[in-house]
Amino acid sequence: MFSNVQPRQAAAQLLNFGLILSTAFMMWKGLSVITDSPSPIVVVLSGSMEPAFQRGDLLFLTNRNILQETDVGEIVVYNVKDKDIPIVHRIVRKFGSGAGAKFLTKGDNNVADDTELFPPGKAFLDRTDMIGSVVGYIPFVGYVTIMLSEHPWLKTVMLAIMGLVVVLQRE
Amino acid sequence: MYSSLVRLQNTFGFFTTVAFVVAAIIAASDLLAPRAPVVNTLEANNVQVATGRPHYYSNKKEEYASIRFTLDADLSSLFTWNTKQLFVYVTAEWPAAGSENATNQAVIWDTIITSPSADHLMNVGPATMKKLRKSAEGKSIDPSRGKISLKNQRPKYQITHPSGKLAEIDDVVLKLHYNVQPWVGALTWNQENLDVGLWKRLKGGVSEKFAFPAIKKKKEGGEKAKV
Amino acid sequence: MAVSQEKITLYNLADLKNTSDDAIPNYLNSLGFKQSHHLTDVRLGLGYTALALAGACFLWDYKLGFENTKYYTAAAVLLYSVLNGLLTVWIMFVEKGVIYTGTSKSGDTVKIATSTKKNVPQYNLTITTTSKSGKSETIAVSRPFTEWFDAAGHFVALPFQTMLATSIPAVGRLDPQRAQAGQDEKMAAYTPEMLAALVQENSSVARATAETSTTGADTGKKTKQRRKA
Repeated sequence: MFSNVQPRQAAAQLLNFGLILSTAFMMWKGLSVITDSPSPIVVVLSGSMEPAFQRGDLLFLTNRNILQETDVGEIVVYNVKDKDIPIVHRIVRKFGSGAGAKFLTKGDNNVADDTELFPPGKAFLDRTDMIGSVVGYIPFVGYVTIMLSEHPWLKTVMLAIMGLVVVLQRE
Repeated sequence: MYSSLVRLQNTFGFFTTVAFVVAAIIAASDLLAPRAPVVNTLEANNVQVATGRPHYYSNKKEEYASIRFTLDADLSSLFTWNTKQLFVYVTAEWPAAGSENATNQAVIWDTIITSPSADHLMNVGPATMKKLRKSAEGKSIDPSRGKISLKNQRPKYQITHPSGKLAEIDDVVLKLHYNVQPWVGALTWNQENLDVGLWKRLKGGVSEKFAFPAIKKKKEGGEKAKV
Repeated sequence: MAVSQEKITLYNLADLKNTSDDAIPNYLNSLGFKQSHHLTDVRLGLGYTALALAGACFLWDYKLGFENTKYYTAAAVLLYSVLNGLLTVWIMFVEKGVIYTGTSKSGDTVKIATSTKKNVPQYNLTITTTSKSGKSETIAVSRPFTEWFDAAGHFVALPFQTMLATSIPAVGRLDPQRAQAGQDEKMAAYTPEMLAALVQENSSVARATAETSTTGADTGKKTKQRRKA
């Protein structure tokens, strides 16, 4: 097979494979820009919001306040500084409004609010700490990513299979 | 269909497409279900302000407000076949310093009302779970769960303000809110002012204005606030 | 006869088409056609520019974070969609299935576009020949893939090249051997008149033998009866 392949042919095949990956990536970035959130789709990783969200559920976020400001009762996603796992909890207190508003969050399934989770000296969240507010929900679909992250070898296997299939099929 | 692999691929692709379309239809079906939530009574019965510490080890003393309230509401129309749970919460709201509409809001009480289809996901003990599931035996939705009647209910949370001061503030109101969590689709909250299509706004969800009283003299030791 | 070593799945229409598509440049270039890669080059150019843009976007997002680069990312997403749109337009409306464009030494330009219909194992070629003087003519050829693939899935070069040589005069001129082979094949095949003559011959022979055998049987019976009685 490789003896007959000319350089342009190989380049075209490689291009097809590359375009699939890059289109998927650009669509993700496009959604990111539209919602103004670095991660517009997240998978629920913990059970702190049960029974509303279970592990493996998919959440759609938006970070734009189009109709009104972020309010008490909304479910927001935020990162605690230096910890890379985002937390998905509900806002239970809001003091003030606008850019200087202070927020306190709590998981539905938790007894205590999130004060313990914040870094020392930080008693409340600012609006800029939040990377999005939940607007949509699909159950179970995200469990695949949980499996992929807990068994990283799966990721390599999947990508390898995808790559092989596309390059060998030329469709 | 020249190999098993191709058939598998095609089947899987078709499955995902169908699943996606079905999910979209289910989510859209929510718009066709009319909603007419009503709050008959919402009033604060007994408001007390006391001082206490946020933790037993902190030095700061803060003022905490405890608001007992009465609530009578009918939220049964919010339950559809696509409802997973209803999160109902009562907030206390009072004006904040700064711009015109700035407010301080804090949740004083909340509850999770699951739909029978989501009963098994509630985190309660086995006896309560059994009772819960039996209460809606055979029914796919149970609107009667949406009827809430509380008299002189003790609040779940005692609230405070970052400044630590809460006593003798006027123009405090209680508001009822709800958040409908679907099995698939968009999360929705109560509409304060707007009627959207078949969904009517919440009738009467705001209480009369009241005020935080002066600090009640409490015995020594400081009260550990329940948050 | 050049039989390729590799086998392909005969039920895979895409494989059949791709293998045949790959054989055309090999054959025509060996005859002295100079292939023009203009169409492919534009497609590769557009495609790789878009890829490079996506790669750059990935890099700056990874290194500098989302918040700092979101306006650049927005611009990149827009530009990427434009490039992809252009690429699609190029493939759909300009390339239109053309897999070979070449010029012979005598100045004839040959443009070959191929297509297949889903689940139909026919190779449809549209050949546009433009002579040096500017006159262009279009030929449509449709042949089943069975003509140049054997039952095991090997590509057989001779019938394929013969097919091309006989259908495209510009190619036939440059490869008289194959063109002649095509004619010979045509001669070898039974013409309708010959078939009719054959049928008549066979039926008259059959009638003659049937008559003799029936009369033979009759006499046989008669003799048998007579003998019995």
